[in-house]
Amino acid sequence: MASDPNQTEERHGWKWLLATPALIVLVLAASGPLMIVVLYSFLSPGNMGGVAWEFSTDAWFRVFMRRDIFDPENVTVNQAHLAVLWRSVWLSAQTTVICAVLGFPTAWFIATRPPGQRTVWLFLITIPFWTNLLIRTFAIQEMLRNNGTINTALMWMGVINEPIPMMFTDFAVLLGMAYVFMPLMVLPLYAAMDKMDFRLVEAGYDLYASRIAVLRHVILPLVKPGFIAGSILVFIPSIGAYVTPRVLGGGQKMMLGNLIALQFGQGRNWPLGAALAMVLLIITVTALVLYLRAVNRQEDKRDG
Amino acid sequence: MARQFSISRLPGFGAIALLTFVLLYLPIIILVVFSFNENQSQSIWGGFSLRWYEAAFDNQQVRDVSIRSLWLALVASSLATILATLAALATTRVSRFKGQTIIYALINQPLMVPEVVTGIALLIVVAFIKVQTGYTGMGYLVLAHTAFCIPFAYLPIRARLETMDRTLEQAAADLYASHVQAFRYITLPLLVPGIVAGFMLGFVVSLDTVVITEFVKSAGQDTLPTYMLGQLRRAVTPEMNAIATLFLALSLCIVTLFFLVTSKRG
Amino acid sequence: MSEPQPTPQPEIEITGLSKVFGQGSAAFKALTDIELNIRTAEFFTLLGPSGCGKTTLLRVIAGFEQPSQGSVRINGQEVAGLGPNARPVNTVFQSYALFPHMTVAQNIGFGLKMLGRPADEVAATTADMLKLVQMEAMADRKPSEISGGQQQRVALARALAPQPRVLLLDEPLSALDLKLRKEMQTELKRLQTETGITFVFVTHDQEEALTMSDRIAVMSGGRILQLGSPSEIYNSPSERFVADFIGDTNFLKVKVVEALTETVNVRLPGGALHSARLPDGLRPAAGDDVSVVVRPEQATLGDGAKAHLTGTVTNSVFFGTDTHIHVNLEDGTPFTLRRQNAGNTAPPAPGTMVGLTLADGALQVIRE
Repeated sequence: MASDPNQTEERHGWKWLLATPALIVLVLAASGPLMIVVLYSFLSPGNMGGVAWEFSTDAWFRVFMRRDIFDPENVTVNQAHLAVLWRSVWLSAQTTVICAVLGFPTAWFIATRPPGQRTVWLFLITIPFWTNLLIRTFAIQEMLRNNGTINTALMWMGVINEPIPMMFTDFAVLLGMAYVFMPLMVLPLYAAMDKMDFRLVEAGYDLYASRIAVLRHVILPLVKPGFIAGSILVFIPSIGAYVTPRVLGGGQKMMLGNLIALQFGQGRNWPLGAALAMVLLIITVTALVLYLRAVNRQEDKRDG
Repeated sequence: MARQFSISRLPGFGAIALLTFVLLYLPIIILVVFSFNENQSQSIWGGFSLRWYEAAFDNQQVRDVSIRSLWLALVASSLATILATLAALATTRVSRFKGQTIIYALINQPLMVPEVVTGIALLIVVAFIKVQTGYTGMGYLVLAHTAFCIPFAYLPIRARLETMDRTLEQAAADLYASHVQAFRYITLPLLVPGIVAGFMLGFVVSLDTVVITEFVKSAGQDTLPTYMLGQLRRAVTPEMNAIATLFLALSLCIVTLFFLVTSKRG
Repeated sequence: MSEPQPTPQPEIEITGLSKVFGQGSAAFKALTDIELNIRTAEFFTLLGPSGCGKTTLLRVIAGFEQPSQGSVRINGQEVAGLGPNARPVNTVFQSYALFPHMTVAQNIGFGLKMLGRPADEVAATTADMLKLVQMEAMADRKPSEISGGQQQRVALARALAPQPRVLLLDEPLSALDLKLRKEMQTELKRLQTETGITFVFVTHDQEEALTMSDRIAVMSGGRILQLGSPSEIYNSPSERFVADFIGDTNFLKVKVVEALTETVNVRLPGGALHSARLPDGLRPAAGDDVSVVVRPEQATLGDGAKAHLTGTVTNSVFFGTDTHIHVNLEDGTPFTLRRQNAGNTAPPAPGTMVGLTLADGALQVIRE
């Protein structure tokens, strides 16, 4: 309706100028530096870190391939890099699945509490989300160490005599990431369930569906947007994780983030680090784009 | 007694949910409990003591990094809140204009780009500027944290602006208020909860940020998180538990405040 | 409608006003060629269905929208281009738009404060206004702590406090329940009479419009279809839309047999002759087919010989004070008549043949 007062929005005029201070800071400290990373990925490494100002695609080449030091003609796939890349994707996927499997019942549990209680449970999920990621990783490290809580408890109970080494394994990284990113799955799932019309579940039962059938044919399709959002919210920080694999995975079980950081530290190959960072960014953006497409498709379906 | 049929009950879900809550809180609770341990172990209880808190307070380095963290969070989130408020006023409730998408993309970039990528990007730029100018002060960290906090501060402020009833400003104009007066007496007071929420989000985010700080800091500019990250490689004592517990308590206070501010409507 | 203007200077004078939203193919013409004079101290109502442009017209007068074409004069002064804060009009919003962070008293005093009046004058006027709307006890409450009806009173007091020349009311009663709405209708009328301020009232409720207004403008599709007193609008609708929108109406197709100066004689379905009134500017000639309207209370059941129309009863619906009797005329046209339930006579059973007698002056010719 044209008579709707909210329809008539102000002309922008000079108003957008108010955004300029924020944009200057963001260009200086976010998007500008990102552009320079793109540039650096096409330069040659300097002797003591940094770059030499010569164009080169060597960094990108070395992301996936390697040349034998003694025989430059001998080009092979860069096993080490691909292993890290694969571990990053695989661990992130597993993290997402674990979070979904535990997060769905948790979100359902919260959504079906009486309204007063719901806020409390929701608050309990949100607290870990806002407490320092490093501290939560530290808490997991305390559990997993050789003389940590789990091993001490098991030895005290007489289940084992020797501590089970759990630190610096894929398992430790996986557990840590699932632990720190769990709230990111529960919150959007809860939001989807909160919006869900429970009368539809009643209608399902009324039409002779079993619990499993209701779950499969009514509930899951309705909370699918929450699943998609939660999965993306868990997957993106997982694939870019740095702190958790550094603390729990150590030097052996690196993920992409650690490999990138390494190039700017001991590796002293900034262009390679920049190229690897671009690879990480491309994976992240791809995941985001897939997510946005899924959201749009969902909205189209609702409209049509 | 037959159990009543409940449409919302799904078998086993309650148990898994409670297990999840236990798993989420058990490590943190153990961490807190052992910060009060009498002996040096983090897994064998030796009696209640505050010795590790004393040790943490006596540790000059811990004091330094804590103060630096709080100072940095305060400065960065204050700056970010001011900038985000201006940006929110510029981008909400205006007819679509060219470049709006670019502004949104710029504001939200720190949320979308992995922190480690932002970190090394800043490392490159900061290294270059350091060589050129020789300046090694806290300015780099302030700028980096401010940029990183802007999207977090922007979200609640923008949300508050968008849900604000536009007819209130029209009513003010109808009652002879100029644009400036309408902003001063109507828009700004109603925006305060959003601004407070934005500031607190920014504060927590700056306080928690470890990756960006790690790459941007110069020597002697450790914050609490980067100090802890460095210490974790060594054999840690319950002193670390004590520091972590204090840090947790601070975060918890801010989050609780945040909840109270945002859940209070009108 | 052709009565002489009592005052030479209208309070609000709108000429050639149009308002277009959007551009190009998405353009929407919300108001078209509005010509309107609103008199000082009258209760003027803009009536029409949602989307007819009545709220847009009000917002143009208030200054929230600028006209695409035409001029708006308030007390002789051109206001096109002036913002709402530069116009001597105040608005009561549909949602009330009370400032949630201010008390009732602060809300009422806001306008005067913005006008830069001294604090003691603001306080005194606020007290007067609180008294006027009987809200003295609520002065220090927040809007969220008072009821919908009380919020309505505060919104009124706030808009009246700066003593505007014109008060604009945008469906102010639509959020209230029926009983409260009736009370507020009386209250509004009282306030208007007491203050002597010109009220421009927007509503889609025809009953509200008929009971409260001095004059009504019926709007549809961004145009004013008819302008007149409530009885003129009700008894002499000039267009099918107006007749249909206000009250219940029967439409009949008739043939003009004789054209007189102010009326025409028409032949009804079934052959009887009857006089029909004409709207302004319509002069049909003998032999023309025209439509006429008859209000249901203008027809009575009569015996067949003297009846103007005859038909078969299809059903009767009991409404307490009256009964609606639905009849199918001989040519198939449905016709409803309303009979007061004064006596105890049972309505005729469905299937009964009945004759209908029309009151003198019952027929009004309408534009199609």
